[in-house]
Amino acid sequence: MGPRARRVVLPLAVFVGLVLAWEGAVVVLRVQPIVLPPPSGVALTMARTAGPIAFHAWHTLVTTLLGFVAAVGLGLLLGFAIGGSATVNDAIYPLLVGFNSIPKAAVVPLLVMWFGIGTVPAVLTAFLLAFFPVAVNVAVLATLETELRDVPRSLGASRWQIFRKVGVPRTMPLFFASLKVAVSSAFVGSVIAETVASNAGIGYLMAVAASDFNTRLAFGGLAVLAGMGVLLYGIFAIIERRVTAWAYAE
Amino acid sequence: MDDERLTRDVPAVALRDVGYAYVTAGAVTQALAGVSLEVPRGGTVAFVGPSGCGKSTLLKLISGLLPATVGTIAVDGRPVTGPLTNVGMAFQNPVLLPWRSVLDNVLLPLEILRANGDPRAPESDRWRDRAVTLLATVGLSGAERRQPRELSGGMRQRVSLCRALIHQPAMLLLDEPFAALDAFTREEMWELYQRLRAEREFTGVLVTHDLREAIFLADTIYVLASHPGRIAHTHRVALPRPRTLSLVYGAEGSELMRLMREQIRPARETAA
Repeated sequence: MGPRARRVVLPLAVFVGLVLAWEGAVVVLRVQPIVLPPPSGVALTMARTAGPIAFHAWHTLVTTLLGFVAAVGLGLLLGFAIGGSATVNDAIYPLLVGFNSIPKAAVVPLLVMWFGIGTVPAVLTAFLLAFFPVAVNVAVLATLETELRDVPRSLGASRWQIFRKVGVPRTMPLFFASLKVAVSSAFVGSVIAETVASNAGIGYLMAVAASDFNTRLAFGGLAVLAGMGVLLYGIFAIIERRVTAWAYAE
Repeated sequence: MDDERLTRDVPAVALRDVGYAYVTAGAVTQALAGVSLEVPRGGTVAFVGPSGCGKSTLLKLISGLLPATVGTIAVDGRPVTGPLTNVGMAFQNPVLLPWRSVLDNVLLPLEILRANGDPRAPESDRWRDRAVTLLATVGLSGAERRQPRELSGGMRQRVSLCRALIHQPAMLLLDEPFAALDAFTREEMWELYQRLRAEREFTGVLVTHDLREAIFLADTIYVLASHPGRIAHTHRVALPRPRTLSLVYGAEGSELMRLMREQIRPARETAA
């Protein structure tokens, strides 16, 4: 088996093994389905409720991506401002770090007070979680080697030209690396908010399943979340590799 | 070039009592003091000396990237007040932009000059031919589409030289450009520099640790001393051109090398 195939086949085999062990354990140990349903039961429930699950998954996806896009926008702006100016860096960076240390789940009740139950708090929570990694990675712009500045400066390039021709492209690998982190954070944020303050989305679906003691559906929601999380991360990891291949060559 | 008539008798670079000091943690450091010299148009000078003697600072002062604290610097008879655009620079680290192909790296100066409305940048449809020709001169035909990461250290330094020369600058400023290369590649680069200088008219200012390199390339070598950085000795290199390795490694070159080494050693000891 080649090294590439190994990296796919091995984790897949472990996953299938775990699912089978789970199924076996539930049957052999006669575990109550309300405590731990067998994977087959979860799959059956997922198939039966495929329509609603798809609706809620779609809602979570849209919420996540809205928050994510806003976070990328603000993260880029903040990152470029911090990276481009020592003054802005000194003024804002400590505040940013302080803000980031607030657990964002604690902000959700406040958002609900302002915007009510629904999509808006979820989008905002996603946004709040996701902009920090983007801003911090883009801010690395500031650490340009002297020679990388001197070459364009000795051609009469303005600060703006150096920023555009050297600073921005050099930051791209870090920016794209931050996207996969940011999209995962946004996903966490939207699901947290949906769980407590929404009437749509997988987070909401799981909250409802829990209040009904519908363990099968709760596990189904979890499986969907796992799949979506891996997919989102994977998409941005692939984009990163494609766009900034030059950064990984050495 | 338009102002050739004007500048024929004026030295390419003239420094008068130039000094540079900077403040760190409240203390003033005098990096350079009382440096006066002239570089004739088309000549090459080299600065050698112990680490920390201000060689690289001198290069930045001449290019206008740093302002002199005292004294005057004139290039082509005009006082230097800000970064010059008529120079090409190359460093020990070739600092190619890794996201650009070899060709696009070489074209960077033209892009910037063109964007700033500089008349020396030709129409963009002529850029490619010029870059391809230049790359061929340094032995990089066919490498236009390659990425910097695919090149050896010597090849990268050749690309860096092409980038420094693509806009046909009047002056080439080199800060230990070949220091990171192996001995044989370095000697190839000396010969390349000599060939480029014969083909194109530029004034060269070289900072180097390598005394052989200075002897091979320069018409005049300034040996600097440190604390503060200043010119301690000046040597005219009388070897004929074009120079060969056997000439530089011969009796006359070796004698000059021995002499300069003696001059740098006490400076190193006081610096330490």
